[in-house]
Amino acid sequence: MQLTEEKLHYLEDTAYQIRRLSVEMITYARWGHIGGSLSMADLLAVLYFHTMQVDPARPRWEGRDRFILSKAHGSPGLYATLAVRGYFPIDEVYTYCELGGRLEGHTDMTRTPGLESSGGPLGMGLSVAVGMAIGLRLKETPRARVFCMLGDGESNEGNMWEAAMSAAHYHLDNLIAIVDYNKVMAKGFTWNLMSIEPYADKWRAFGWEVIEVDGHDIPAVADAFHRAHWVSPHGAPVVVIAHTVKGRGIEMAEFNYKWHTQAPDPAIADKILRELAQAYGRPEEGYSRVNEPVGKETFYGGE
Amino acid sequence: MAENNHPKEMEMREAFGRTLVDMGREEARIVVLDADLNTSSKTVLFKKAFPDRFFQIGIAEQNLFGVAAGMALEGYIPFPSTFAAFAARRALDQIAITICYPGLKVLIPGSYVGLPTSRAGASHNCIEDLAIMRSLPNMRVADPGDNADLRAIMRTALEGEGPVYFRVTRLTLPDLFGPDHHFEWGKGVIVHPGKDVTFFGTGMMTSLCMQAADQLANEGIEAEVVHLASIKPIDCDLILDSVSRTGCAVTAENASILGGMGSAVTEVIAENYPVPVRRIGVRDRWVDSGGIDELFTLHHMQPTDIAEAARESIRSKISGRVR
Repeated sequence: MQLTEEKLHYLEDTAYQIRRLSVEMITYARWGHIGGSLSMADLLAVLYFHTMQVDPARPRWEGRDRFILSKAHGSPGLYATLAVRGYFPIDEVYTYCELGGRLEGHTDMTRTPGLESSGGPLGMGLSVAVGMAIGLRLKETPRARVFCMLGDGESNEGNMWEAAMSAAHYHLDNLIAIVDYNKVMAKGFTWNLMSIEPYADKWRAFGWEVIEVDGHDIPAVADAFHRAHWVSPHGAPVVVIAHTVKGRGIEMAEFNYKWHTQAPDPAIADKILRELAQAYGRPEEGYSRVNEPVGKETFYGGE
Repeated sequence: MAENNHPKEMEMREAFGRTLVDMGREEARIVVLDADLNTSSKTVLFKKAFPDRFFQIGIAEQNLFGVAAGMALEGYIPFPSTFAAFAARRALDQIAITICYPGLKVLIPGSYVGLPTSRAGASHNCIEDLAIMRSLPNMRVADPGDNADLRAIMRTALEGEGPVYFRVTRLTLPDLFGPDHHFEWGKGVIVHPGKDVTFFGTGMMTSLCMQAADQLANEGIEAEVVHLASIKPIDCDLILDSVSRTGCAVTAENASILGGMGSAVTEVIAENYPVPVRRIGVRDRWVDSGGIDELFTLHHMQPTDIAEAARESIRSKISGRVR
């Protein structure tokens, strides 16, 4: 299924907004996982603005597609997506990690409109997605699907493979896993920290259908999700392994593990966002709150 | 009600399995998830009655609880079932973050608890579950004293909201309560009134406290026995009411003394009305393989040990010193 030029432009613009807002909120909060938010921005744009059937006015609509962010430290990317999609006001992203706010450091489904689960510790989300997929089948909600975003690093977790095994056992063809395969973990490259290759073969050995795609090629991603959505041979669950670049969109952050958890200084954020706008061919626009004073933690006796 | 037809002498795990079936008939949203232990835990009864609502997850406890969370999110009421050791130790993170953090209604039976399990030894005799589960926000924790108590706990868990951890003892326990027994979260029950010392028992230990009270009665000591099935929330009012009358206490649990019911009771007493307390339970050591009676003797958890702890507690009260 081909994307129209207009749709492609719209999705690219959405991915740009998701990247922008991720940088804005992490800079403003002075904390957050920036690399993994940026690597999945294109995937999230396609999911929430093209592939998934959702209705922000009815976040719990029974027939909706479900999305579980297993790599829940990527919450800024998801919050940006939900805000742009209309689940809550865009300005609310500046409450990220603020005491009493609705956008926790890691996902809390009881606070944030549009979140389907709570998470943080890695390797757990696919199990929750399996439970939802079994539940949907039991309820005979045939159209709704469960999408689960995984990180490559969390493939180190045994729980993830327990979940993978059970999804194949129960023939969950209403479950689609997506791996944001950005090659970088918190402290270095995956192949230095813990090798996960041959990765696609691992999924196949666990009984999954595998689709590999360039995770920043929006038409290819849309096509991969379309195939995953409608073509589920043998009743098997499908995993879309999306090859991505950690920190994609910020040159100094790309493939750089030091930007796994990195809140840029406002001046750096300003520069980054101007470059991002340029890369997307948008009007130059820096960090929106560059002139606001940066507060300091006062716990140890004040400033 | 079907559960009144259950025979009187029955292992608690059997009563658990039958109650699940009874509740499954009335509530179609109940699903049972198993990690390859259904004949031991007796969820096999539910499996036979409702094969479409029974899900085998395999020997994968972390997945067991994550899948349960997912099914709860879709409106089902899951009972993910395994041995207490594998729930509390292996799958703690999954229980904490996928279930307790969002407060999902997942009802967790912990089977094979404390000393009376089999001869499996330390890996399977779970003594930490009460401490671990009690520390999780949103979680409610109960250890039933008999089969009627178990049924009432399961009923209130089903009728209420949020996650529950409840213990299922493997043994056949003597009846403490009749079939009309009523259980309420955060409420204890005085099962035997007294004035000289209070026994706070939970789970199977309340019956042993009753035996200890009988022994003390021969010496003219009138022990009050309070059954605290609801460990969290705990009945602060009843605890303080009782010790304000008796002036000293003994706690008894089929678990480690570190962090469980005894800790909960002493926290309440220490903060509000300090009186001498002795605690009966496993004292910071692993549980070896052995016969049940031998283990209760080894760990000083027999009725004679409970009675002796009461005498010590009373002596402390009289001397005005803790030891």
